[in-house]
Amino acid sequence: MTLAELACAPVVMAPPRAAPQPAVEAWMHAYEPELRRHLARLVGSADDADDLLQQVWITAHRSPPVTGPGSNVRAWLFRVATNAALDRLARERRRRIALAHHEAKVIPEAPPPPDADDASAARLDARARSRVRDHVARLPRKQREAVWLRWAEGLDYDTIAARLGCSTDSARANVYQAMKRLRAELADLRESRTP
Amino acid sequence: MSTVPCNVSEDEILAYCAGDLDGEAELAIARHLADCDLCRDDAIVFTLLRDDLARDAATAIRWHAFATPFGTMFVAASDRGLVRLSWNLPDADAFEDELRRRFPGRPLLHDPGAAHLADAERQLREYFAGRRTRFDLPVDLDALPAFDRRVLEAARQIPFGTTVHYGDLARRIDHPRAARAVGNALGRNPVAIVVPCHRVVRSDGSLGGYGIGGITYKQKLLELEAGRRVG
Repeated sequence: MTLAELACAPVVMAPPRAAPQPAVEAWMHAYEPELRRHLARLVGSADDADDLLQQVWITAHRSPPVTGPGSNVRAWLFRVATNAALDRLARERRRRIALAHHEAKVIPEAPPPPDADDASAARLDARARSRVRDHVARLPRKQREAVWLRWAEGLDYDTIAARLGCSTDSARANVYQAMKRLRAELADLRESRTP
Repeated sequence: MSTVPCNVSEDEILAYCAGDLDGEAELAIARHLADCDLCRDDAIVFTLLRDDLARDAATAIRWHAFATPFGTMFVAASDRGLVRLSWNLPDADAFEDELRRRFPGRPLLHDPGAAHLADAERQLREYFAGRRTRFDLPVDLDALPAFDRRVLEAARQIPFGTTVHYGDLARRIDHPRAARAVGNALGRNPVAIVVPCHRVVRSDGSLGGYGIGGITYKQKLLELEAGRRVG
């Protein structure tokens, strides 16, 4: 599940109910300028920002946020927009890293045929992911199980806590520790290296 | 966009990426990510790791442990079926070490409720109690060489309470002269009992070899299947 999908998941689970067109239009009118600026700053390109903005309105129409007292449509729209941008940035980064690894390889591999772009990209992608998997496999048991249950199996912290026989806070802490450790160990996933 | 050090912690970025924030707190981090290169970099890496984990869900090896007359029995399964059954181990860490050696890089998960594992526990309990004569459990032997797979598939067909000779099994897989290789393949059987390699014995009437814990266990399994109690 991508971040953008996750953001909408609770709504998707409910019986389908598209937002009435006027509501989405009102949100567009109220929030589009600041959302566009936000997205452009995140992804660094006005064209990409417009593209992502379309996704936000499609999501808002198909699986609208719960509205009513205490609801925060603006926060919801920023979440959907930010997550869509992060998903895109993460995919682009994965592709860049995979290519860099490929080019840095000393052993010459047969260059992929020009019409096999998808297949070779998939192969590079699989290799990059197997590296992440290796690092997950080496985490301490509790961290490894917590992070796996959270992201691979999509369980909530209460369920993870019950499975691991620990408190909800401890389940969350283990997920966080695992993620931080993976990020530290897989240093080449980072691009900003300022301390 | 700036790279000035900010006062947002890594945990806050993580909480945002984990979907653990809401309302104004979430909004504040979302907006911060547009301004701060360092935090955005963190968020991209966390998103990427999360996405990788989500796409790897099917690769986990799940395991479970339960008490049997042979002591603590450990079973492990992939999504496709049982991959390992073991006993005579000091603790769960030893079993995990075994799994790590067999399945390098695959995430290990203690998961007693996983479908294949709960089934395995129930059926093995029934078997030890003398109430089951065949296992209805999928096994995943994909990690093994093709020859070993053929030997083990053939061994699975040997009925409860009967034995065959190594040479018989060699003939059944059309390698009549490979009795010794058949014995070696059986010795590498990763899912003992469920794949009943204990039902293969030597033509001179002796038991031959057995992998886990040695020949005593082979003897015990054959006695159990002959209707005698095991202890």
